[in-house]
Amino acid sequence: MKLDIPFIWTALVSLLPAVPTTLKITAVSVLCGFAIGTAVALCRMYRVPALHRIAAAYVTVIRGTPMLTHLLILYFAIPLAVDGLADRYGLAFRSAQIPMIGFAYLSFSITAGAYLSEVVRSGLLAVNKGQMEAAHAVGMTTVQGLRRIVFPQAFAAALPNLTNSLIGMLHGSTLAFTVSVVDINAQAEILATTNWKFFEAYLAAALLFWGMTVLIERLSALLERRVTRYNRGGVA
Amino acid sequence: MIRLQGIRKAFGKNEVLKGIDLTVDKGEVVAILGPSGSGKTTLLRCINYLEKPSDGEISIDEFAVNCRKPAKKDIHALRRKTAMVFQQYNLFRHKTALENVMEGLVVVKKLPKAEARRKSVELLEKVGLGDKLDAYPSRLSGGQQQRVGIARALALNPEVILFDEPTSALDPELVGEVLAVIRKIAKEGITMIIVTHEMSFAQEVANHIVFMEGGTVVEEGPPKTIFRSPKEERTRQFLARFTSDSAYSI
Amino acid sequence: MGAKFDIQYVFEYFVKLLPFVQISLVIVASSILLGLLFGLLAALPRLYRVPVLQRLSGIYASFFRGTPILIQLFLFYYGLPEALKLIHIDVSRLPVLSFVILVYGLHSGAYVSEGIRAAVTAVDRGQVEAAYAVGMSGFKAFTRIVFPQALAIAVPILANLVIATLKDTSLAFTLGVMELTGKSQTLATISRHFIESYIALAAVYFILSVVLERLFLHLERRMLKYERETGKSKRSLLRNKRLERSANTSVALSKGGTGA
Repeated sequence: MKLDIPFIWTALVSLLPAVPTTLKITAVSVLCGFAIGTAVALCRMYRVPALHRIAAAYVTVIRGTPMLTHLLILYFAIPLAVDGLADRYGLAFRSAQIPMIGFAYLSFSITAGAYLSEVVRSGLLAVNKGQMEAAHAVGMTTVQGLRRIVFPQAFAAALPNLTNSLIGMLHGSTLAFTVSVVDINAQAEILATTNWKFFEAYLAAALLFWGMTVLIERLSALLERRVTRYNRGGVA
Repeated sequence: MIRLQGIRKAFGKNEVLKGIDLTVDKGEVVAILGPSGSGKTTLLRCINYLEKPSDGEISIDEFAVNCRKPAKKDIHALRRKTAMVFQQYNLFRHKTALENVMEGLVVVKKLPKAEARRKSVELLEKVGLGDKLDAYPSRLSGGQQQRVGIARALALNPEVILFDEPTSALDPELVGEVLAVIRKIAKEGITMIIVTHEMSFAQEVANHIVFMEGGTVVEEGPPKTIFRSPKEERTRQFLARFTSDSAYSI
Repeated sequence: MGAKFDIQYVFEYFVKLLPFVQISLVIVASSILLGLLFGLLAALPRLYRVPVLQRLSGIYASFFRGTPILIQLFLFYYGLPEALKLIHIDVSRLPVLSFVILVYGLHSGAYVSEGIRAAVTAVDRGQVEAAYAVGMSGFKAFTRIVFPQALAIAVPILANLVIATLKDTSLAFTLGVMELTGKSQTLATISRHFIESYIALAAVYFILSVVLERLFLHLERRMLKYERETGKSKRSLLRNKRLERSANTSVALSKGGTGA
């Protein structure tokens, strides 16, 4: 077996069709995760009765266990629940009708939600308490104050962590292969085994991920420079 | 005797010190005054090479450093002959008050631990902190931290102690205790150069006043002359702002 | 596809998984040790701005932080023997575990190098100046003042990394290593009690994470005792404050530990 350099390029090209799948999984899990995370963070910060305990437990459990276990448990638990309910109420819907990628969406969103809730929380806590007081003082309502004053500053503070989570979920999306979703990683495996060129195929996949990660980091750095304009150091 | 000759310093194109000459005699207390941005702190930091002057010569007694081509060991020697009290105290955060004072004695002066300890305790008692030996900086007030800073500087037994606005970061009610300590050691004949905004304190403690503006020394002389009958118009204008009301400036 | 849910199996499998905690912890411990070594080697050229070398270590850190650990596992497991064959070294007989540890070591090393850089730069500049002012040399200032403080700052970063690595080891099964996840899959396939097996698996990981978390918190408290102003410090489980701190120092290095 010889190293086949040109095949790396071939592999790179054949991996491209799988890119949208990877991006879709990442985007869905981060967006849904952000929504979950914000809700969870607010529940905890405002100490919503009962809910804040559940929220805290959710974050602790999810962050204390590997993402893979979330996927595996849901992958087997959801059909059990869905089919059980369908039997009881005589519905025609069967778990087999759920597309495989649906499990990835759901499971990864739950994972991302826990991590992002911490990101959102720390972002909100990073905003000085006086900012909200000042917003009230100029006559804004709490909602206005949150939206116009607190959130923009919290976003700026949370951006590095948000980027990290995004990259984490991009890399995490490779786990989707365990539920037979053909993302970049699964596509690389197919290429590797059919051509018996493991190194080349996985190198191509690595380069693809590396490129996307660096791109995200660059974009985030650009964005950060824009949103933290107000924070640019005062004295020389 | 400390002598600065033609000290220049530029940050990029911005020339902060435009050739400063200054002589400080043994036992003299020099106060450097001037508006912010006049280069007084930069000058002070050049003396122990925390800022690297672009040109000039620094000498302490027979020992001289040519700022054009300083040798590493010369910089080192210069720092051993000087000590500094910082505006932000800069106590070593992971060491107690006592350890802060001992650190230089043990590491730099190579004193045996027991002796360093004895000396440090003595100095901390002198600055009124005999009961705070084992407190970490995070548990001390600003005034207490600064007094530890002064004890740390004294411990090194330097030729000169450089004070960089030692009370500027302090709450007004804590300024007094720090000034009292400085006043006390000034009487012991230790050479000191103080950058300060405390005009009445400078007038009282210093025996030589240097007024700087725009990177040059505008005027210098004994406090009486400078405060009562300054020759330069700029000095007069600057001092007028402080003497019109007796308040300490910030 | 699975058998009917039976909670009894969760307890049974939990006990059956316990002996495999050891192998997972061995992977974590050896790869963290290896990672500390790689990380230090990679951080030094960047801290001291050694030409060429600092670029290389920059690329190393970027690559291992920029690609999924799963891909890295496959790449090294399949690729390294092939690449080394070119220079006539045969490593195809080496146990799988050594590849796994190497990859996790390289992976965590990238995070360690960033962590070291961040911790050193997080130490206040005034501390170095004060050290110089009392007459210390650059070396003494680093070893006596900067390093001890940086170490304390680095503990939470390390804690994060260790726990993230623990969760990442769940992927070693893909190369056929019989660690916790691999074992739970075997158990599940035999009995068809998948959910029970994976819940037991998650429980084992959870307990390990919490225990590690506690240990590091304890260590951190001891090392940071000088920073505590009021004696009692408010901390909640699973490092919330850590996130805040890394946000404050704008250190974008927290390894998510999403398990991939």
